[in-house]
Amino acid sequence: MSKVDLRITPSRSVLPASTEPQLLYALIELSAQSGATKMPRLPLNLCLVIDRSSSMRGERLQQVKQAAMQILDLLGDHESFALVTFNDRAEVVVSAQLARARAEIKRQISAIEAAGGTEMATGLALGVQELQRAMMPRAVHRLLLLTDGRTYGDEGRCVEIARRAQARGIGITALGIGSEWNEDLLETIAARENSRTHYITSASEITKIFTAEVERMHNLFAQDVHVRIALPQQALVRSLDRVRPFIGPLPVIEETDFVWTAALGDWPESDTQALLLEIVVPPLPVGRHTLLRMSLRFRTPGSDSAIQSHEQTLPVVFRDPNEVSDNVDPTVKHWLERLVAYRLQASAWQAAEEGKLEEATRRLQMAGTRLFEAGQVELARTVQEEATRLLRSGQASAEGRKRIKYGTRGLIGREEQS
Amino acid sequence: MIICNYCQAQQLDGTIFCTVCGASLIHTQPQRQTTASLNRAASEAAQLVEDEATVLPAPAIATTGPAIVLVVLSSGRRIELPAAPELIIGRKDQQRGFFPDVDFSLDGGYDAGVSRRHARIVRFDNGYMLEDLGSSNGTFLNRQRVPPGQPVQLHHGDEVQFGMLLARFEVSS
Repeated sequence: MSKVDLRITPSRSVLPASTEPQLLYALIELSAQSGATKMPRLPLNLCLVIDRSSSMRGERLQQVKQAAMQILDLLGDHESFALVTFNDRAEVVVSAQLARARAEIKRQISAIEAAGGTEMATGLALGVQELQRAMMPRAVHRLLLLTDGRTYGDEGRCVEIARRAQARGIGITALGIGSEWNEDLLETIAARENSRTHYITSASEITKIFTAEVERMHNLFAQDVHVRIALPQQALVRSLDRVRPFIGPLPVIEETDFVWTAALGDWPESDTQALLLEIVVPPLPVGRHTLLRMSLRFRTPGSDSAIQSHEQTLPVVFRDPNEVSDNVDPTVKHWLERLVAYRLQASAWQAAEEGKLEEATRRLQMAGTRLFEAGQVELARTVQEEATRLLRSGQASAEGRKRIKYGTRGLIGREEQS
Repeated sequence: MIICNYCQAQQLDGTIFCTVCGASLIHTQPQRQTTASLNRAASEAAQLVEDEATVLPAPAIATTGPAIVLVVLSSGRRIELPAAPELIIGRKDQQRGFFPDVDFSLDGGYDAGVSRRHARIVRFDNGYMLEDLGSSNGTFLNRQRVPPGQPVQLHHGDEVQFGMLLARFEVSS
């Protein structure tokens, strides 16, 4: 039997009984135990969309080809594979087909050569088309995009194509390598459920990241995961963000009075999921109160339409303000600190774009401080360096920007242990 | 309601990091929400800024040699340093009655990991030396860590970092 462990940790479990509203943070950790029996594996419908512009020449393209061949070996005979390349134009190299004629497919992959510029939109459109040719019921559809360059003039079209695909249940993994690609575009493309983006800092990581992504798709623990958050009268959800496996805001909707919902998408078993919730708590009298009723609804692969659910509540004690300490839970503080660093750097780039360089620098420096205190010393130094560069030259470096944007979200290199 | 010490923004009780500037608000005491207290808070803040804006008043002794300045890069604040044989750099601690010659409290020193007794600048011959006083988060001269207790020479235009707080050392002759 599959089991979900749902744990809610508040920033403080004893709150002062005050006459004013107050803020409470809650870390919500979801972990999956599929138990002894292996979860049924859903067939994968995969399309790689690969940038083959001239800057990919050499080790990058070599590694990509090798990674594509390894992925092919990971697929079963009933799974679908396609490969599209793009430079100034796009081309279907391997049309959507069951992963059977492996030698022939590998020959086609090995013939790919690098040349020309980067025009992503047509490549994405062809990739989506290949996936749609192989649509199977109850399959996992995934487009894996890799680019090392900046596409010009068709960014809007790229996002449109991505949204259309995502609305049809196609998840997108957008991977950037080197320092020239457009991190804002990839972040926007991946800002939907079942999608993610990652910064590949070295060509030698390509194979590892490609195969890890396929393995994640092969081990889905649950699909269509939704959270439902019920609060007491007059309480509010201020925000909900994902903090693990990577940091990013989650759209949350008040469905009926004091009940909020958010969609989390599919859940690969290897991902520990954690969310950070900010609640505005109304004044409540001394005593014990249930501040939060949370339920998780999802389908498990193989069980068709049966919806499973899991519920958890958060009791909190209200006391006389003089008896309440102002200490906060260190784990909640850690993730909040990293979330705040992510928000600060995001608003710093925005300020920089508006020409407010001092404001941008201040925010970056505070982001550095938060990262420093959260133990992310190396990233804190990068942030500090870019803050200085920004103040002096009016511009951050392309690589520094990527390291900060993706680093604060936990989207660079190795997945963190903790 | 609490008021951020760093940017004076009003925040809900229980807020851990200021939503405006990101500074830590843990242990910031709630204020009663009356206009009187708001005014008081505002005037206190203004007063603090005044107190802190200048370092120790320049001593009456005749200044010999060039004037030295520390420029805090985030705020642009120029701290003109008095001519003294030794200048302690850190963060003031009123409770313990500790007042350094250069106080970074209002430059976000606490958040930037500046220790109370962080470093000192010592006058020698016609130059200046920088010494880390065993600070928790280190002192860096032009991005090189300064080992505690081992003074290094300072030059005009050097970049000095206390914890995460970045400043430039200037000598104006």
